[in-house]
Amino acid sequence: MSWLDGVRHRLRTLIRPNTYDAELQEEMQLHVELEAMQHGDAWAARRRFGNRTRYLEESRRQTWLPLIDAVRQDVSYALRSMRRSPGVALLVTITLALGIGANAATFTLLDELYLRAPRGIQSPETLRRVWVRHFRTGGGIPFTSQALHYPLYQTMARATGDSTQVAVYATDWSVRMGSELAAPRVRVTYASPNYFDVLGVRPARGRTFTADEGVLGKGAAVVVVSEAFWRDKFGTRGDPLGQTVLIGRTPHVVIGVLGAAFRGLDIQSGDVWVPLATYPQPEWMREPWWQSTNQYGLRTVARVPRLFDDRTFAARATTAARTLNGALDGERGDTLMTVATGSIVEARGPGAPGQELLISTRLAGGAALLLLIACANAVNLLLVRALSRRREIALRMALGVSRRQLMRLLTVEALLLAVLATAGAMLIATWGGTVLRTLLLPDVEWSHSVFDGRVATFTVTMGLVVGLVAAFVPALQASRADVSTALAHSAQGGGGRHRSRLRSGLVMVQAALAVVLLSGAALFVRSLHNVQALDIGYDADQLLFAGVRFADGAAPPAPAVASAMRDVATRLRRRAGVQAVATGAMDPMRGFTVLQFYTGRDSAGSFGPNEPTLGIVSPEFFAATGLRIVRGTGFSTAGPGAAPREIVINEAMARILWKDRSPIGECMVFVTRAAPCFTIVGVVETARRDNVIEAAMPQYYASLDQPPIPDWLGTRLVVRADGPALDAVRTDVRTLLQAAWPAGEATVTAMRENLEPEYRPWRLGATLFTTFGLVALLVAVVGIYGIVSYGVNQRRREFGVRMALGAGTGNVLQHVVWESTRTIAVGIALGAVAVVALSRQVAELVYGVSPRDPATMLGVGGLLLTVATIAALFPAWRATRVDPVETLRAD
Amino acid sequence: MPPRASRNDLLPGTLDMLVLHTLTLGSLHGYAIAQHIAKLSADVLQVEQGSLYPALERLQKAGWATSKWGVSPTGRKARYYTITASGKRQLGQELADFDTVVLAIARVLGRAEAP
Repeated sequence: MSWLDGVRHRLRTLIRPNTYDAELQEEMQLHVELEAMQHGDAWAARRRFGNRTRYLEESRRQTWLPLIDAVRQDVSYALRSMRRSPGVALLVTITLALGIGANAATFTLLDELYLRAPRGIQSPETLRRVWVRHFRTGGGIPFTSQALHYPLYQTMARATGDSTQVAVYATDWSVRMGSELAAPRVRVTYASPNYFDVLGVRPARGRTFTADEGVLGKGAAVVVVSEAFWRDKFGTRGDPLGQTVLIGRTPHVVIGVLGAAFRGLDIQSGDVWVPLATYPQPEWMREPWWQSTNQYGLRTVARVPRLFDDRTFAARATTAARTLNGALDGERGDTLMTVATGSIVEARGPGAPGQELLISTRLAGGAALLLLIACANAVNLLLVRALSRRREIALRMALGVSRRQLMRLLTVEALLLAVLATAGAMLIATWGGTVLRTLLLPDVEWSHSVFDGRVATFTVTMGLVVGLVAAFVPALQASRADVSTALAHSAQGGGGRHRSRLRSGLVMVQAALAVVLLSGAALFVRSLHNVQALDIGYDADQLLFAGVRFADGAAPPAPAVASAMRDVATRLRRRAGVQAVATGAMDPMRGFTVLQFYTGRDSAGSFGPNEPTLGIVSPEFFAATGLRIVRGTGFSTAGPGAAPREIVINEAMARILWKDRSPIGECMVFVTRAAPCFTIVGVVETARRDNVIEAAMPQYYASLDQPPIPDWLGTRLVVRADGPALDAVRTDVRTLLQAAWPAGEATVTAMRENLEPEYRPWRLGATLFTTFGLVALLVAVVGIYGIVSYGVNQRRREFGVRMALGAGTGNVLQHVVWESTRTIAVGIALGAVAVVALSRQVAELVYGVSPRDPATMLGVGGLLLTVATIAALFPAWRATRVDPVETLRAD
Repeated sequence: MPPRASRNDLLPGTLDMLVLHTLTLGSLHGYAIAQHIAKLSADVLQVEQGSLYPALERLQKAGWATSKWGVSPTGRKARYYTITASGKRQLGQELADFDTVVLAIARVLGRAEAP
């Protein structure tokens, strides 16, 4: 490869630029000396050699050394000029660093969530996740999920004709290592024997599961561990293979250690992999779990392209799944379900995007806008500086600097600023990326650090592009400078109509983009406010839920727990700060029961997707939680066994079943039509069932003292405390529970804490977009200030003349401010148009407010206009201080 | 002062060809290359010797020659140049071109038969 030799030669000279000249000199010296020796005439030898300096130069020109010299010169010149006006350099650098940094920070997150495949697997592009679109389960609303049960997996794998290419796994991110309460948790993946082969993952040491170890019903207690898990648990020394690790209550033998890269297929990184056959059998299930069609929670991955194209796979699997479901009883068999394949990157699959992905894509959009603002600002500032240097540039050109050299000089200057900004952006990206990770996905243990080669490449590329953009306009403008006019006008010229139009155009763009970001912030803040203001029915701020946990296998019988819990409740009621105590089978918004029931009226089909759900509670429940009885009464307090058969329904259920008539006194029977009648005694306000944001769900309540079927027991406490005493009561509850069960672990949570994850996305959106909005506002204001201030300086003479002709202070002030206000106002109008155009993109992220809400836009526009006017007032005021005599004398 | 061929009197690119051809003898330092060319042409092709060095840089840049520091027979440090495989291919190409040109000139001057 001849050109490669050549390039290598050139690079070698570049590596040691200083020795090049010396070596060539030495070589030539030898030549001349040898020649002199040959002919015995030193002078003739020198003459025959010719001009040594000239040939040295000629050689040197052929290398890349002159380029280095030029760049070095330009850089040192750029540094000098930066030192001369450090303010502009600092502003440009900070603005660009913020813009690039915001983008890099969101990139770190998007890259993990959406762009890159899980690490450590072979050819991720041919690996597919299998998705199922369900129609009948989940209340009839179609939804797409990866969760499937084992018979479904089996059927689909068989339908492909080669089940070795289809693997299945389940995850449990919180398995105790041992039976004690304090045992550490481990993130377990239950994997089919072919899991590692399908993924193409080889262990770094030892082996993975054999087919024998994965026989269902006879799973072997073996485990493959991640490199990180091994390091954390056992240190790097010693042979991991053959040692045992407690997973649940079973010691597992370590048979393999994976390479450092592979941490599973999900965002959450896995610790250990055990055979799927060791998946724990749920206690309530009669048949083995792998024969049950109730045990969802498995996920399937397949090397689809090795079998056939995606569509064929989906068609075959769909047919197989429908056939399987058709054989089930009519109620459950979903013969409409379809199977689809998706990328191994979960977020690219057909499932509904997670809130974290939605937020991070919108953030990326926001960051891009921020960068545009930053670029506009940087270009503007550099432009202003280039114009104020017109005289210097003109002088240089007059002295023979070529336009090309001049452009290179200005480009190097801007690139230098971009390099500084990029360094800053990397810091911002690392810090911001970490913050975003903890804010958006606080529970995820990330397998890799925020900053890596990809982020670095992204940041540097972005910095380079931004640098070139920032350099281009001013360089172009400056190089168009005409020597004679520039010299004549010196620094007083305004830069011409054309250039000032460009500058105010840039300010306009900044204002428009700031409006977009500020509107986003305002919408999020209002959404958060709306969501927080929702009445969920419960008095969440006053409620504590409590219970007791036991080590595996150490739990006393449930009836004993329930009766002891009643005693604890009685004692708690006497404590200070406690308003009411109820017991229940489950915590509100943490679970419910579905029971077959009949009423006097034909209820078939009237519920649509939402079948009424049942809560089993003690009679104090409504008073304790703050749910209002809107009609009739609550439960009888006659006590266990003595209480009559009673039911309380909520308003949503009453409306669906009894429309306008009163349900009080109506009869509900359970399980069979011949069962005894439970009388509806009251209607209670509709509380949230699962989520803070949801449609009214029909629910009804039965009393623990006289439940429809005897399986339910009040093992949970609901405590209503005086708001301010919440923490004290919490300690009381824990102490009492711990005294009642010294071997157990008392758990007390405030309802607010349970709800917090639901408010988090809203709070997060509000916080992040407000940050972006404020940064945008700041950058835009700095830009406006800089431009107006420059304009005033340029037009000192004009103001001097105006004032000499009798213009008052107010006049000049008005003139300057009005000019900038007009530009901003146009920008705001443009921004409003953009907001309307983008409204669909944010619609799914706002609540209770329209993205086109005029009040928001007016507020944002008003804010920007006010701040911009204030920013323009300072330089405008300076314009009024111009001394007419002095400025006129200056010419 | 006797008339002397200035370096401009060479056909363009000829110096490169001469140097490459000289290097087919083996690794040589700059002075030896100059000596060789001068001797074989019986001092007719007496280029200004310094112009050899830009030419050597040019050949290295193109990847046709490489260089390495060594010690000359007289014990001095000297840079030795070696022709590369692609340099040999280039030399063949240049010789062929040169023959074509020389033949064409000869025909114009009536020293050779037209084909």
